[in-house]
Amino acid sequence: MLKLDKVCVERGPIFTLDEVSLTLNSKQTLMVVGESGAGKSTLIAAILGLIKLSSGTISWNNAPVKICRPTLVMQEPRAAFNPVYNLRQSVMEPIIARKMKVAPDRIQKLCDGLELPQALLDRKPYEVSIGQAQRVGILRALIASPSLVLFDEPLSALDAITQKHTARLISDLQDEEGFAALVVTHDLGYAAAHGDAIAVLKNGQVEECADAGQFIESPKTNYGKELRDAAFALGALGALGTLSAPESENVCVTGSK
Amino acid sequence: MRGLFFGLLFRGLFVLTGTAVVTFSLLWNAPGDPALSIALARFDALVTPDLVEEIRKEVGFDQGFWSAFWYWLQPLMVGDFGNSSVTGRAVLPDLLVTASYTVPLALTALCIGLVMSIVLAIFATKKPGGWLDRFAVGIASVGAAIPAYWLGLLLILLFAVHLSWLPAMGARTPSHAILPALTLALGVTAALTRIIRSGILEARSQSFLPAFRRRGVSDKSIERAHIVPHAAIPVITVSGLELAFLLEGAVMVEVIFSRPGLGTFLINAIDARDFPQVQAAVIVIALVFVIVNLFIDLIYQYIDPRIGKQDA
Amino acid sequence: MTLSVSGLTSTRSGRTILYPTSLTFEPGARIGLVGSSGSGKSTLGHVLIDTLRAQGELVAHVPQSPDEALDPLRRLDFHWREAEVAMNTEHDRQKQEKLFDALHIKGADLTKRPWSWSRGMQQRFVIAMALIGTPSLIILDEPTSALDPVVAADTMKLLQEYLSHKNTAMLFITHDLGLASKHVDRLMVMHEGKIVEDATTQDILQTPKTEAAKLLSSHKSWLSLPC
Repeated sequence: MLKLDKVCVERGPIFTLDEVSLTLNSKQTLMVVGESGAGKSTLIAAILGLIKLSSGTISWNNAPVKICRPTLVMQEPRAAFNPVYNLRQSVMEPIIARKMKVAPDRIQKLCDGLELPQALLDRKPYEVSIGQAQRVGILRALIASPSLVLFDEPLSALDAITQKHTARLISDLQDEEGFAALVVTHDLGYAAAHGDAIAVLKNGQVEECADAGQFIESPKTNYGKELRDAAFALGALGALGTLSAPESENVCVTGSK
Repeated sequence: MRGLFFGLLFRGLFVLTGTAVVTFSLLWNAPGDPALSIALARFDALVTPDLVEEIRKEVGFDQGFWSAFWYWLQPLMVGDFGNSSVTGRAVLPDLLVTASYTVPLALTALCIGLVMSIVLAIFATKKPGGWLDRFAVGIASVGAAIPAYWLGLLLILLFAVHLSWLPAMGARTPSHAILPALTLALGVTAALTRIIRSGILEARSQSFLPAFRRRGVSDKSIERAHIVPHAAIPVITVSGLELAFLLEGAVMVEVIFSRPGLGTFLINAIDARDFPQVQAAVIVIALVFVIVNLFIDLIYQYIDPRIGKQDA
Repeated sequence: MTLSVSGLTSTRSGRTILYPTSLTFEPGARIGLVGSSGSGKSTLGHVLIDTLRAQGELVAHVPQSPDEALDPLRRLDFHWREAEVAMNTEHDRQKQEKLFDALHIKGADLTKRPWSWSRGMQQRFVIAMALIGTPSLIILDEPTSALDPVVAADTMKLLQEYLSHKNTAMLFITHDLGLASKHVDRLMVMHEGKIVEDATTQDILQTPKTEAAKLLSSHKSWLSLPC
C-alpha cells in the first residue's frame, strides 16, 4: 500500500505540494486530475524520489517508497526512448541496470498482454507508431514486476480509439500482475472509466478525493464540479450515470480541505 | 532587466579577476625570486636591490600569494601599468597607440567578412544541397585552410607589386589597411559562412512558419520578421568571438604587412621579457573579450529574453 | 456566401495521403471532420485553407497548439498588426476589443512575447487573430488537445457564442467523435485519405454506416463503452 502523509514540496516561496495525503492499494488505480501547474508532475517526481520533500513522508507498506521500485510511463512515447537504441535494448535497460534476473518468457508474456509482436522490439522508436511505442513504454515499466507503476498522462498523445484500447490493456495487465497504479491525467472520462478513485489536485492541494463513480455523479467541491462539467462539455463522459461505483476498499484517505 | 545586467557585469568582473590571478601566478611561479619578479613588473628599469627588499618586507612573503597579489593588482586597477623594462617609457600610452592601429583593422575585417559570409550563405541556402550550396560552403572551407601569410603574400604580389594598386606594407594611410583587412576577412568568412547557413536553414524550419503563411503574411514579411531575427542569434555569437580574436591582433598579418598591432606588441614583449608590457597586453585582451561578451549577452536579452533562463 | 472547393488532394513521396475531395460550406455551417491518426484529416485542413486562399477567399486556420502559430521572438501586438495587414483590413481598435472581450483576453498585455501568457490565452489569441476581418470559414485543427479541459471547454463555448450570429462557417477537425459531436451538426468521417461518410451528427452517432464511422462512434466516450 502506497501512503502519502502530509507531503510538502516547496520551490522558493511556493508550495508545489501542500500537505498532500493519499493512499493506494495493490491492484487499484488512483487517478490524479487537475490543471497544468497543479502539482501533478511534482507528485510523480516526489514518489519516484527525484525531488526532496520539505516535510511529510511517502511510504510503501510503512517502508520508504523506493523499496517497491516504482516505475514510470511517460506522456510522449517516442521521446521516452533513446533513439540510438532499438526498443529491445531500451526495454532491457532497467533489468541490466539493476542487475536483475528475469524469467526468459517474461518479455513474451508482456508482449502478448500488450498485443505487440515481439519482432517489433527490434525496431527503433521512430520506426513504430505512437500507439505501439506507448505500449512498449508500458512493457518497459512492467518488465521488472514493480508493485507500483506511475503513469504521467499516458494516453494524451494517442487518438481516441487507441486511447480506449490501450487503457483496456493496462487494466487487464493490472488484474494479472497486481500492481498499484497512480495515473496523472486531465481526461476525466478516462479517470472515471478506469479509476477506482479520483483525487483532484489544485495549487498543490488535494481538493477532493473520492470513489470514481461518486465523484462523477456528485462532486463535492466547486472546482470538482467545474472539472466534471468541462469534461461533459467536451464529450468525454457520454451518458452520465452509466458507471456503477465499484466496491473497492477505501483508496483515498482524507480530501484535505 | 537591471538585475540581469548586473549579473552579467559581475560575471565579467569574475572573469577579469580570474585572468589577473592566473597572470600573477605566472609571475609568482616563474623561476627565481617572486619579489624580484614583482619589482620588475612594477618598476622595472628603475629596480634596485633595496627596492626588492622593500617590496619583500612590504608584501610580507610569509603571508604569501594573496597579499602579494593585492599589492601587484592595486596599481593595475587604476590603470597604472608601470613602465616598460625595455624602453623605460610608460606602458599604457604605447599600448593605446598600438591598439589604435589594430581596432580599425579588426572592425573593417569583421565587416568585410560578415558581408561576404552573408552573401555566400544566402546563395548557399537558395537551394540547400544544390551545387551552389556545396560551392559556397566549399569556398568557406578553402578559406579556413588557406594560411593567412600565404594569402597575404599573394595579395601583396598581385595588388601591390604587379598592379601597383595598393600599398604593400606599413600603416600610414587607410588604404594601407585594405589588403590586411581582406586577408583577415577570409578567415572570418570561413568561420561565419557555415554558421549563417545553418542558422538560416534552422530558422526556415521553425514549426510555426506554415501558420503565418496560411494567415496570409507575405513571404517577404515572414523572411524579414520571423526568419532573419532567429537566424541572427548564432551569427551574433560567432561575430563577437571573431571580433575578439581580431582585436587581440593577428600576428601573421601584422608581420607580413609590417603593421604595428597588439599581436606583435605582445610577442615582442614576451621575447624581451618585458613583464609590464606583457601583463598590460594580457589584461587588455582579457578586457576586450569580457566587454564583447557582455555586449553579446545584452543583445541576446533584447532579441530573446528566454536565453539563459532555466525553463525556456 | 457558400464556399466550394474540389479536387483537394495531397501526395507525399509517391503515396497518396489525401484522395481528390470536394467540399462545400454554407454560411454559418458547423461541420466536423473526424478520423483516427493517419487518416489525413490534418492534411485536408491544410490543403483546404491553401486552396481557398488561392481562390481569394478570406479563411483562417487555427493549428493544434499555440507553439505552431506564434513566433516566440515577437511581441503579440506585432503578431496582431501583421495579421491585420495580411488580411487586408484596417486597424480597427473597436473590433479588436470586441474580439478580445468575447474570448476573455481583454486587458491582457500585448507588449509581451507569447510565452508570457498562459497556453489557454495564447490559443484564444490565435483564434482571435483568425477571426480578424470575419472570415467565411474558420478551420480548427484539434483546438482542445493542447489545453486543460476547463480551459478548453471555456474556449469552445466562447468561440461558439461569438460565432452564433455570424456567417462564418466552422470546420472542426479532431480524432474525438464525442468531442466533435458536441459542437457541430454535420460530421464527415475520414479514413485513409477519403471521406467515407458524411451525415448529420445524430445520424453518425446513432446509425453509423461505414466501418470507420462505427468504430469511432463506439469509442466516442469512456462511459458508454461495450466493455
